[in-house]
Amino acid sequence: MWVGACIDMRYDAFSRCHPAVNFGFFAIAIVLSVILVHPAYLAVSAVCAAAYYLALKGYKGWKAVLGMIPLFFVVALLNPLFNAMGDTVLFSLFGRPFTYESLVYGACIAAMLVSVLLWFLCYGAVMTSDKFTSLFANVIPALSLILVMVLRLVPSYGKKARQISGARQCIGKSGSGTKREKLQGGITVLSALTGWALEGSVVTADSMRARGYGAGKRTTFQVYRLTLQDGVIALLLLLFAAVTIAAAAAGAAQAAFLPSLHIAPVRGALSVSGLGAWGLFLLLPTLLHLREVILWHTLTSDI
Amino acid sequence: MAHFDIRHLTFSYPTAPDRRCLDDVCLTVEKGEYVALCGKSGSGKTTLLRHLKSVLTPHGIRSGDILFDGKPLAQADLREQSARIGYVMQNPDSQIVTDKVWHELAFGLESLGCDQKVMRLRVAEMANYFGIQSWFHRDVAELSGGQKQLLNLASIMAMQPDVLILDEPTSQLDPIAASDFLNTVRKINRELGTTVLITEHRLEDIFHAADRVVVMDEGRIVAAAAPKEVGAALYARQDDLFAAMPAPMRIFYGTGHQGADCPLTVREGRSWLSAMAEGRVLHDTPGEEAPYEEPEDPALQLKEVWFRYEKDSPDILKGVSFSVPRGSLFAIVGGNGTGKSTTLKAICGICRPYRGKVLIDGKPAARYKDLFRGNLAMLPQDPQSLFVKKTVREELGEMCRDTAQIAAIAETCEITHLLDSHPYDLSGGEQQRAALAKVLLTKPRLLLLDEPTKGLDSFFKRKLARVLRRLQGGGVTVVMVSHDVEFCAENADLVSMFFDGQLLTTNTPRRFFARNSFYTTAANRMSRHLFPGAVTAEHVMALLKENNL
Repeated sequence: MWVGACIDMRYDAFSRCHPAVNFGFFAIAIVLSVILVHPAYLAVSAVCAAAYYLALKGYKGWKAVLGMIPLFFVVALLNPLFNAMGDTVLFSLFGRPFTYESLVYGACIAAMLVSVLLWFLCYGAVMTSDKFTSLFANVIPALSLILVMVLRLVPSYGKKARQISGARQCIGKSGSGTKREKLQGGITVLSALTGWALEGSVVTADSMRARGYGAGKRTTFQVYRLTLQDGVIALLLLLFAAVTIAAAAAGAAQAAFLPSLHIAPVRGALSVSGLGAWGLFLLLPTLLHLREVILWHTLTSDI
Repeated sequence: MAHFDIRHLTFSYPTAPDRRCLDDVCLTVEKGEYVALCGKSGSGKTTLLRHLKSVLTPHGIRSGDILFDGKPLAQADLREQSARIGYVMQNPDSQIVTDKVWHELAFGLESLGCDQKVMRLRVAEMANYFGIQSWFHRDVAELSGGQKQLLNLASIMAMQPDVLILDEPTSQLDPIAASDFLNTVRKINRELGTTVLITEHRLEDIFHAADRVVVMDEGRIVAAAAPKEVGAALYARQDDLFAAMPAPMRIFYGTGHQGADCPLTVREGRSWLSAMAEGRVLHDTPGEEAPYEEPEDPALQLKEVWFRYEKDSPDILKGVSFSVPRGSLFAIVGGNGTGKSTTLKAICGICRPYRGKVLIDGKPAARYKDLFRGNLAMLPQDPQSLFVKKTVREELGEMCRDTAQIAAIAETCEITHLLDSHPYDLSGGEQQRAALAKVLLTKPRLLLLDEPTKGLDSFFKRKLARVLRRLQGGGVTVVMVSHDVEFCAENADLVSMFFDGQLLTTNTPRRFFARNSFYTTAANRMSRHLFPGAVTAEHVMALLKENNL
């Protein structure tokens, strides 16, 4: 049921959190996924990333998630072909040993790649450009404003370029034909676009100054407000992350692959709590999503 | 105390020190006044307005004083001027700085360094006042032109200015969005007491709202008075600008009437006519136009054309069928987003219909090898899309090497004196004609025009009409998509109504507009109770003369 498609990101509870919480979560998740090269930790990361991505995208998300499986196998199986280190030789291929350790190492690298990719996909869906810019508006205001302006200009340039080439097509300057003609046509459109853009930028500059740009220190309008719930979620995330990092620092996530495997076993309070905290940390967005789905389901069935 | 006091302001650009762009301009603007500034393009309106805000003032040779609230304007710093003097420009797109509506609304407040609480309240207030709530979180790229310009106005009003200066704010908008916008400006003036200074070529929409109309000509103020008096003065001067006056006023003076009871609006015009006609039997000549018949050998024919942008998107064209007689000016009118421009694109093959036929001279458009050479050409809505070179001459040279031919086309389009200018330096009407010249060098037999009168003042509209007539004389068939009811009524041979992806009715302009009661000209709305067949101001005037009124 929870896989039900959510077309709009506004229907995801975690996406509605403050951008700082979103950004912090993804930063920690991605960085730790890269650092903690331990099979159990990586498996947890990949599964949680896939779960959250499906929660965000619904049925449409399956395509990307299933696409990760062949990617995983390709990377996992390719590594031993290039890396012949390792003590346990499984068989020989083209006269080179294909080792068990190298295969495990490849699988871990592949899992890391897959989980990071999936987390980035989730990041793309949750952290929209306006969240990103509003988050950094306080830290680096000038850069954030430039980014906002670029975000506005890029689609408008694309639109104008299509308009120019459409207009030229209607006077028989379609820019089709030989490669040279096509290139020439493209250059003409580009130069026309440049002229138009310069003209527009003069107006934009006027409009900015007319509205007091440069009159003093700028403040930034915050469309997102930090709520109590954001605080609670941030606190939980920090707690889980701290436990994970502490456990990892104590050696719970240690793993060496070559030439022989030394992977810290998941046994004992330290190890289990580290992995558990890691899982809870990564699952929190999905859990928030699920809670909301169940809440609405019960609310609507009560009516 | 006057809000703005302009004393003997003279200005010329450094590139042309002998030509005075502003010549001894004296003007006072009182608090809360609504002042409309009019004049032909190049008469110095924009230059004057830009002098009222120091950051926008052009560089050049200047003398005279500008006082703002009794103090020289230059003494007010950027902060004070930004907050107190709002300035809206022509181009809705380029004025927008950020990518989100909410951010744009807050931009000015951010620059002034307001704190969160103040910003939140002001932004919320503005979103409410301008009805922006429903698109508050959208990307600005998704907005229509009218919404963009409203956003520009709202983001300036968020700073709570005392004066609002608007430089042709509606020239890029369609008539409905334009009159919405102007109504909002009027509402701001009335409800908030904000002083308004506006230039506008759509004089009919602001004439009755203005407290004072200032007329400029070649950098001088030639009249500054209440609207009715300005109308009288312009008529007395036989000024070209009189043609831009509201239809009721033109009819009033055009039939030899004088005096203070000159009507400004359709309502006033109706009661003026009724009062005159009371107790008299009027003789109304019916339109002599022959009824429209489907041509046998059309220059262009569309048969059941269906189109949509994507497989799952809704249909834009839902079975468009029409035929255009050879050598005629065929106008398609109708609301925004109904598919008018898409129809033109479908004819050109930019949008490929998934069903139906487009026949040019009886032959399917797709079967032409060189469709755009000597057969068909389209003038896009934004003429700037066609400009790729540094001078107009080079622009024309891109199409054809024959200088004699270029000279001839330049003559037809009345741009000979502009050949060495940069296309971006031309005014809207000149750009339009330069682009038209470029299009005409493909020697089309069928010319498509997308909103050719957008942003043109009455003077340039008449020039365009002349050019089109000349082309028709040369055997060119013209299909025009337009919002401009008055222009179509005066110049088209056939008018068609587009609605909901279809072409509904086609008829001659008199028959077409006389049957509509909303979608018709001001002259018709004013006189239809007496002369149902009269569509243009000229028709009404002729009938009034015939009846000795």
